[in-house]
Amino acid sequence: MKRKSQDCQSRLPDNSAVKQQQLPAYQLQLSANKILSGFFATGVFCLGVGVILLLSAKTIKEVEINYTEKCANCAKLRENAANFDKECNCSIPFVLPETMKGNVYMYYKLYGFYQNLYRYILSRSNTQLVGTDVKDVRNCAPFKTSHNGIPIAPCGAIANSMFNDTIILSYNLNSSIHIKVPMIRSGITWWTDKYVKFQNPSFQNLSSAFAGTTKPPNWPKPAYELDEEDPGNNGFINDDFIVWMRTAAFPTFKKLYRRLHRIEHFTEGLPAGSYSFNITYNFPVNRFQGEKAVVLSTLTWSGGSSLFLGLAYMVTGAVTWLAFFSMLAVHLRLRERKMFFLQQ
Amino acid sequence: MKYINLLFQGLERIQNFRTSHPWLSFLSSRNPKPTVGVPENSQATEEIPGNFNWNYSAMSVFEKESEDKQNGEQERYLQANNREFNSLFGYPNNSIKTSKYNAFNFLPMNLFEQFQRLANAYFLFLLFLQLIPQISSLAWYTTVVPLMVVLSITAVKDAIDDVKRHQNDNQVNSRSVLLLMDGRIVTDKWMNVQVGDIIKLENNQVVTADILLLSSSEPYSLTYIETAELDGETNLKVKQAISVTSEMEDNLKLLSAFDGEVRCESPNNRLDRFTGILIYKGKNYVLDHDRLILRGCIIRNTDWCYGLVIFTGPDTKLMQNSGKSTFKRTHIDHLMNVLVLWIFLFLGSMCFVLAVGHCIWESKKGYYFQDFLPWKEYVSSSAVSAVLIFWSYFIILNTVVPISLYVSVEIIRLGNSFYINWDRRMFYELKNTPARACTTTLNEELGQVKYVFSDKTGTLTQNIMIFNKCSINGKFYGVVYDKNGQRVEVSEKTEKVDFSYNRLADPKFSFYDKTLVEAVKRGDRWVHLFFLSLSLCHTVIPEEKVEGELTYQAQSPDEGALVTAARNFGFVFRSRTSETIMVVEMGETRIYQLLAILDFNSVRKRMSVIVRTPEDRVMLFCKGADTILCHLLHPSCRSLRDVTMEHLDDFASDGLRTLIVAYRELDNAFFQDWSRKHSEAYLSLENREDKISMVCEEIEKDLMLLGATAIDDKLQDGVPETIITLNKAKIKIWVLTGDKQETAVNIAYACNIFEDEMDGMFIVEGKDDETVRQELRSAREKMKPESLLESDPVNSYLTTNPRMPFKIPEEMPNGNYGLIINGYSLAHALEGNLELELLRTACMCKGVICCRMTPLQKAQVVELVKRYKKVVTLAIGDGANDVSMIKAAHIGVGINGQEGMQAMLNSDYAFSQFRYLQRLLLVHGRWSYNRMCKFLSYFFYKNFAFTLVHFWYAFYSGFSAQTVYDTWFITFYNLVYTSLPVLGLSLFDQDVNETWSLRFPELYEPGQHNLYFNKKEFVKCLMHGIYSSLVLFFIPMGTVYNSVRSDGKEISDYQSFSMIVQTSLLCVVTVQIALETTYWTMISHIFTWGSLGFYFCILFFLYSDGLCLMFPNIFQFLGVARNTLNLPQMWLGIVLSVVLCMLPVIGYQFLKPLFWPVSVDKIIDRIHHCMRHPLPHPSRTKRKHASSQRSAYAFSHKQGFGALITSGKTMRAKMSKKNSFPFKK
Repeated sequence: MKRKSQDCQSRLPDNSAVKQQQLPAYQLQLSANKILSGFFATGVFCLGVGVILLLSAKTIKEVEINYTEKCANCAKLRENAANFDKECNCSIPFVLPETMKGNVYMYYKLYGFYQNLYRYILSRSNTQLVGTDVKDVRNCAPFKTSHNGIPIAPCGAIANSMFNDTIILSYNLNSSIHIKVPMIRSGITWWTDKYVKFQNPSFQNLSSAFAGTTKPPNWPKPAYELDEEDPGNNGFINDDFIVWMRTAAFPTFKKLYRRLHRIEHFTEGLPAGSYSFNITYNFPVNRFQGEKAVVLSTLTWSGGSSLFLGLAYMVTGAVTWLAFFSMLAVHLRLRERKMFFLQQ
Repeated sequence: MKYINLLFQGLERIQNFRTSHPWLSFLSSRNPKPTVGVPENSQATEEIPGNFNWNYSAMSVFEKESEDKQNGEQERYLQANNREFNSLFGYPNNSIKTSKYNAFNFLPMNLFEQFQRLANAYFLFLLFLQLIPQISSLAWYTTVVPLMVVLSITAVKDAIDDVKRHQNDNQVNSRSVLLLMDGRIVTDKWMNVQVGDIIKLENNQVVTADILLLSSSEPYSLTYIETAELDGETNLKVKQAISVTSEMEDNLKLLSAFDGEVRCESPNNRLDRFTGILIYKGKNYVLDHDRLILRGCIIRNTDWCYGLVIFTGPDTKLMQNSGKSTFKRTHIDHLMNVLVLWIFLFLGSMCFVLAVGHCIWESKKGYYFQDFLPWKEYVSSSAVSAVLIFWSYFIILNTVVPISLYVSVEIIRLGNSFYINWDRRMFYELKNTPARACTTTLNEELGQVKYVFSDKTGTLTQNIMIFNKCSINGKFYGVVYDKNGQRVEVSEKTEKVDFSYNRLADPKFSFYDKTLVEAVKRGDRWVHLFFLSLSLCHTVIPEEKVEGELTYQAQSPDEGALVTAARNFGFVFRSRTSETIMVVEMGETRIYQLLAILDFNSVRKRMSVIVRTPEDRVMLFCKGADTILCHLLHPSCRSLRDVTMEHLDDFASDGLRTLIVAYRELDNAFFQDWSRKHSEAYLSLENREDKISMVCEEIEKDLMLLGATAIDDKLQDGVPETIITLNKAKIKIWVLTGDKQETAVNIAYACNIFEDEMDGMFIVEGKDDETVRQELRSAREKMKPESLLESDPVNSYLTTNPRMPFKIPEEMPNGNYGLIINGYSLAHALEGNLELELLRTACMCKGVICCRMTPLQKAQVVELVKRYKKVVTLAIGDGANDVSMIKAAHIGVGINGQEGMQAMLNSDYAFSQFRYLQRLLLVHGRWSYNRMCKFLSYFFYKNFAFTLVHFWYAFYSGFSAQTVYDTWFITFYNLVYTSLPVLGLSLFDQDVNETWSLRFPELYEPGQHNLYFNKKEFVKCLMHGIYSSLVLFFIPMGTVYNSVRSDGKEISDYQSFSMIVQTSLLCVVTVQIALETTYWTMISHIFTWGSLGFYFCILFFLYSDGLCLMFPNIFQFLGVARNTLNLPQMWLGIVLSVVLCMLPVIGYQFLKPLFWPVSVDKIIDRIHHCMRHPLPHPSRTKRKHASSQRSAYAFSHKQGFGALITSGKTMRAKMSKKNSFPFKK
């Protein structure tokens, strides 16, 4: 009996929408009208955004001074490794024709410096930098330890190659009065980097925290003496160090060095006039045909001086409109033919 | 009378002989030889002469056996009831194991199997590459995690399958069996049965192992079995024990004392062969396969039987036969393999370019950059570095070969198979069977079928015959006229004839013409005689379990239909013995003496019975094909013959199967004389068949015509409509049937494979190579004269490229043609040079009918098309004879029909009605194909777009094998971020819904030419991917290059750049798939937008403080998401990337149908048009009938079992108890 009732059971599949492939659905049909109006609207949008971006980029003032050649004598000196402890200064005067209004940022810019090489990027120890284990140099090849086996802190190729020129901007009010433009060296890093990703080892005394480690070979001083003026800016949380450690994506890059402190003469920004950069030349770029520059720039809502986005939007908008008109023409010409076979 | 006695004495003698000796070849299903066989020196063969010594000592046998074990078992030796002795040979026990793994070997074995797949092996290779620190360019987990996921998905699937198999095995192994142990019957499990045991089987039990039948409850130790599980035949077969063991019956003492020894062949997979010798009490008895009951059979109609276990478990013929079936792979699979190879080459060349670039860069720049990044100690020159970097890039760019491709493809196919199983519109209510996808790997191929090879009987037709019309003594019956004398089409509403006057009528039988019943009631002599002859002249076996409820077991359905008709009109064939037929004539029971049955065979094309009526008249009733019978008629009925012939033409034009019925009254003396000759002929040793048929011809002449019958061979529902639809979809249908030419052609017309309006029809029936060639060539000349010229492109191609393998392109004939070819000519055509002639001619025709085909030929035809045509073939059939073709074709479809399960078991898809084929192909197939193509295009595209960005970045990162993305993004991209949208697309997308798919079968065409995914499309994907990767690299690059945030801080750093590229990439591929999705269900929305949202969630998680502080060296991107995702440049860059990637795609989609329209575009346009302005439903086409084809048959072309009836073998014992009878279909 039992078997019979089982036999009688219908094996008719369930009538659910999924199983019968009849889920309620919206059927997307891209009709000619929708496509054409879409193209038109996209064109309008792109041109609009492009215009806005270009206009805002226009307001940016920027000065870039390449000092690779200008400080050739220093460069020569640096080529010889024996002179590593000799100081070399070089001064580059320039004239600012217009006032740079608002916040002014000073960058150093490197050409042809490959911060994005695979082995270079890997060559750092995040456990060390976050302060948990100063002696963890596992990933830091080829700058793990010094010759006598002492672990380097901060280890690795990135830290070792840190940019170490000092650039001081002075405002030449007249030929005799040179005012050192006040610059802020803090607040140039991401908040997360400064307060989360980079931590000094927790010791009362910073130098003892670095005990048992040695400085990177290219560094003149150990990490805990990076900033002589501000003791809180030493060790792994040194702003310049953090900026350098955020490796650039492309071989040409600029990194924020200082911000204008808007006091006294400079509350409005950098007034027009003559200035000079006083550079302590340490960082050697000649060997790999690199170049160094210093950049002064103001910013807008869309960031730096790059015109790329604005131009790209303009071009895209223009091309979209071009495509729109040609597609419209094709559509109108072929529509009659299409209607013909629809009626068939 | 004297002669009759003599005859019967003779027959009796033979029967006695047969029963006392195991000689029942006629009963065996596979040897339908004439019954009254004369035993050839039986005694001699049965007992082997004594000088031939088989009685080895047990020891020597053992030695020989152990020797044999080394090179496989040569011969089996066993003794009944002697486990100790039998255990010497180490035969396996009766447990079976179909499972592949156990708990311990699962992991190693499964992994080993999985790594045999090319893709998995490739990723394993990559994994090892990554372990080499010198070239490792990615974190180890980027390869390990996806590989683990992919492997574990497959492993879980395999494990589930195997657990099911374990359960099945356990269930089978622990079934209970009655085992004879120490003189008692004990119940034991199947797995404990050993070789040499004696087991008892009862009615309806499944046979435990291959056993030698010892004795049974039935007379003559017959045992009826059903072999559906073995060969799919549902009819009963008979086995018989040899006399010496059958004497033991169910005497347990004798049985347990039985110590016969068996020597037989070693285990093999031949179901129809067994040779062995039983040595019992010093005598040898020959054993053949009629003594052996195979595992898997079911005992029927036999209360009990005892058997000696010969083969157990894996040695049984059932298990030996369950070999691995060939694994079918689809065209897309092959294409995918080719493409993966292409991708490898592409990958290699990319790596090479980059390695060269690296070499140059290292010597120009890297060498001087060593202050900051010294070369590794083992890198002596830039060239060495370049060699290493080649492999590093090989690792980085590995994602061009999508790891999840194969897993995703399997999931998609599985899903689409489930849709077939779930489809309510392919569910057949009458049989309660849903459609079933037995293979889950062929779905998209269903959307590409070009050739359908169909069986006829049971596939196109229902294999149910219905008595439809008749002509009796020149009067036409069966057509209904209304009051105005207009012919009425028979429909559901037409009033049926009332058979209530007849208590024994079959309620299922319906007839509409009242005049015939009136004639019967009136007592019209001719009508009575006509139906009497129908109720007497046949070999049907009746069965009456309940009083008054008759069922007929007929060898051919035609015969059953005729006897049923006679029954309903009042001439009820009620029972038969070997000598009598009992007929209830209009309520009055009359017994006819059955004197002889002159059985049907394919040469005679007729059958006769000779009976003695209760009035002591000897009558001969004959029915047969009109072509034969009209020459045997008495000259006096010439005018009647002419009228009847006209009626026959009428019947034929309606597509009915016709027979002529005639009778003859015999002079008693003449009959006695003939009967003597007949029995002599039966007993003759030489040319018995010829002699018998000559004798038969003597008596089957001067017949008096009674009339003709017309039987409707009912087509399955919707067959003509389905074939019209499939034809519209440009699918060619070939009918391959074992049936006769006329039958096949008739059905071909009826179901629209041939049409009356065709331009021509070719019949190939040559008996030798040359004629066949001529016939084929002349057919081709008519269809396409230029195809015979040298200049024809195919001809010149064939002459210049004689090498195999080549494919013949499609050739267009100048009209609609049909081709009919019979099996004999086909045998010639399939050999040698005619193959191509046949193929080219046949492929030009609209419809092709091949008749009189053997199962092997069916497969050969399919193979032929498969070999020379670049098309997908589908074979559909229902019987065991279709199995070969079902296995040969790309796709095999089994119809769950009347002829058992064999076809279904070997098929890839199974359902109950031919008409579901259109749904399978046009709806499921088309969707599966479209989905698979969309999936593949998109999948390759997304991986190209993803991977090639690395290539561009190489030019800016000193070719240092620097990746663009975070390693975690690389790990998750294929598995998490992009897998669900594409799965959703390929499981739910419908470009047009099922109604339109069926109304516009033309939509099917692109699949046949594989337009949606081929090498060209792949190159397009590649180009599209390259373009997208360019946009995805250079737009973000431009955005961040030398750029800063609005507060002056970093944005052009590597991590922010990664972030913007990967976010744009994900947006682009998501919008791309949104664009390709045409059917937006809730699930699609959730999958598509959900995945994108999920990406951002994961992003914040992976770049969160906690995780990064816990594993600072693994999760390095701390805070990147927070610092960059709030920047306007970032989003402007992403939007621009998306716009630039999408606009060309949309533009191309818009312009393509305008500039390069294909037929499908027009139809899609039309559908969109129709959606707005609905069309009226198309009118259904009516079944058409052949115009002039005459078919005349009511027999299958196999020998009947008339002789079996007269032999009385089965009639004698317990006729009433039997509920079925062994016949051969």
